[in-house]
Amino acid sequence: MKLRAYLAASVFAVTAVIAPRAANAEVSPLDLVGPIAEYKIFIGENLEKLVTETKAFTDAIKAGDLEKAKKLYAPTRMNYEIVEPVAELFSDLDGSIDSRADDHEKAEKDPGFTGFHRLEYGLFSQNSTEGLNEFADKLQADVVELHKRITELTFPPEKVVGGAAALMEEVAATKISGEEDRYSHTDLWDFKANFDGSRKIFDLVRPLIEKDDAAFVTKVSGNFDTVDKTLSKYKTAEGYELYDKLTDDDRTVLAAAVNTLAEDLSTLRGKLGLN
Amino acid sequence: MTEETNTKAFITSRRSLLLGVGAAGGAALAAGMSGAQAAENNGEQVTDAPLSDKMLEQQPFHGQYQSGIVTPRPAAGMIASFRVLANTPADVERLFRTLSERIAFLMKGGTPPALDDKLPPADNGILGPIVLPDNLTMTVSLGASFFDQRDWLLPHKPARLSRMKAFTNDALDQSLCYGDLSLQISSNTPDTNIHALRDILKNLPDLMVLRWKQEGSVPVLPRSPDGTHQSARNFLGFRDGSANPDASSTALMDRIVWVQGIGDEPVWARNGTYQAVRIIRNFVERWDRTPLGEQERIIGRLKPTGAPFGGHHETQVPDYPKDPEGTVTPLDAHIRLANNRTEAAEANLILRRPFNYSNGVSKSGQLEQGLLFICYQADLEKGFIAVQTKLNGEPLEEYIKPIGGGFFFTLPGVVDANDFLGRTLLEAAGHTPTNSKS
Ligand code: HEM
Ligand SMILES: [Cu+2]
Repeated sequence: MKLRAYLAASVFAVTAVIAPRAANAEVSPLDLVGPIAEYKIFIGENLEKLVTETKAFTDAIKAGDLEKAKKLYAPTRMNYEIVEPVAELFSDLDGSIDSRADDHEKAEKDPGFTGFHRLEYGLFSQNSTEGLNEFADKLQADVVELHKRITELTFPPEKVVGGAAALMEEVAATKISGEEDRYSHTDLWDFKANFDGSRKIFDLVRPLIEKDDAAFVTKVSGNFDTVDKTLSKYKTAEGYELYDKLTDDDRTVLAAAVNTLAEDLSTLRGKLGLN
Repeated sequence: MTEETNTKAFITSRRSLLLGVGAAGGAALAAGMSGAQAAENNGEQVTDAPLSDKMLEQQPFHGQYQSGIVTPRPAAGMIASFRVLANTPADVERLFRTLSERIAFLMKGGTPPALDDKLPPADNGILGPIVLPDNLTMTVSLGASFFDQRDWLLPHKPARLSRMKAFTNDALDQSLCYGDLSLQISSNTPDTNIHALRDILKNLPDLMVLRWKQEGSVPVLPRSPDGTHQSARNFLGFRDGSANPDASSTALMDRIVWVQGIGDEPVWARNGTYQAVRIIRNFVERWDRTPLGEQERIIGRLKPTGAPFGGHHETQVPDYPKDPEGTVTPLDAHIRLANNRTEAAEANLILRRPFNYSNGVSKSGQLEQGLLFICYQADLEKGFIAVQTKLNGEPLEEYIKPIGGGFFFTLPGVVDANDFLGRTLLEAAGHTPTNSKS
């Protein structure tokens, strides 16, 4: 009998986090058509911005305008970070656009180290645009190619819905520490884009779960709000403060919100009847 | 069939199975067969799970005190330190209740609920579909910051609880220090500890964020033919724990370990205790290049037996009054500084429950090994802080470097199914537990 009590207790504790009920069988694949189509438009718009803004960013590098290039780095990247769940479907491009030095054997010196972070390294760590032309051209070509491939892509629903959690997993595993933009320390810009990208997906499917699972929807929205509130403390005229301004307390608040969002959003696919 | 009978059936068959194997293994050894032969005869495959006859060992979750303090130390231990985000009484209650529920389940074992397979599973599954207790204990303690950062709890902070200050030989890595809440997890195997930690992380992501953790182990010994016990060895190769106070003596533990909740200690803290944790790196390469005699003089005991100089058993007590000049046991030997065996030193006794840790290789290519030192005492200042202060400057310091840890207050036990961890604290703070469940 005791065991049963414990088992009941365990059910309670677990469900408090993940779901008051099992996966929702009432959502049909057809219900997802609308949200997915809308998501595709959202991604398309962001990709167009990515292409134009990357052009301005890389032009500044090629013109040797260090200050302008530095200023454009973080806002340009945000367009990539927001579409990351889809962009990641093309691992070759994700690697050449967004890999970090430690993904490569020879780190910063590795010829395979290209993309945003290679340019970031040159601009912020070497403090120069010298030798970056080739990397700038490559990045521009890569984002154009990405745009093309994604335009031709049929969006797999489980990847789209799963993207909400995937973005949080990324932040939780490798970004909350400030390792992503280690030369420019503009990580908070990335955070903002990742959260917005995740929230967009959640908001699109929200009507499908709201009636049956209001508590879940409230909890997730609450955590997104916590993130927004915390990040807004660091808002500046241009964008966001540098990562080292983030207090230990706020980092903890963000970490808990990200972990909870990752945990809760991990049930989103199941709630929508997706595998 | 209910889950309950299911579990029982499994446990029963598992038990007989395990006992059977244990007996066969014992017979094989007795007959002088080599391990390899025995293995072949059992038809074991390369990747078969290693067998244990200890998976059903269980420690009580309910009791006056938490388990894991006077509980004999099993082979695997861990300290995990967390930041706590619960600030309101209601959130703190949810934290304490959820911890209590999860720990009760994990220490007892059972079948986690089956969810729809389109959802992430409720349990991480690393122990299989049925969780066996494996002698697990999970001991919850609170750091000074837990009280300092919550106005409504501040007046109820245990009288001796403070943030750990650096001692003279310390080189503290801030990312391995302090915490609002510590979990001491110990069991027979590291996997059982990891399973338990991951369960807690999954169930409380919004209220707790992991800051640091250190795992450790204790070397196991074959059962002695005459049933005698000896202390396990640490990574300096010495028996560690020989002079520990007898944890089976209630009178001793009442005096040395358990907070009585009288004097300036808050009443709610009764049956709790203070936990001191220290991550102490050992320079083992250098130690291994130190002459045996010098090693023994630094510690103050003989390496093979753990006996004091001139003795034969680790349980023997050194006679310092007969050795005032330190010709037998040097005056600055670790054990003599830690406890000079005078009446005054009786006030400074502590209960040590350490594990050895091994973390990889330092930048200089040396082993990152050491002692995950854990001790419990009724008075943190007269206990750990006083003893460590006496040890400051000891010759052993050349071989050790404390790099992390923290001080915590271990909550009183959960007396029954209606109780939960930290209830007395919440009530003392004027919070009537609300979401009471039967
Ligand atoms: C890496 C660090 C340490 C090592 C290798 C170490 C090792 C030992 C050894 C081998 C003994 C003798 C056997 C025994 O009675 O347990 C001992 C005793 C003792 N140690 Fe440590 N120890 C360490 C750190 C500490 C610390 C940090 C404290 C407390 C501040 C401490 C307090 C004691 C006490 C109280 C005794 C018993 C002395 C007696 O009553 O005779 N030790 N230690
Ligand atoms: Cu990225």
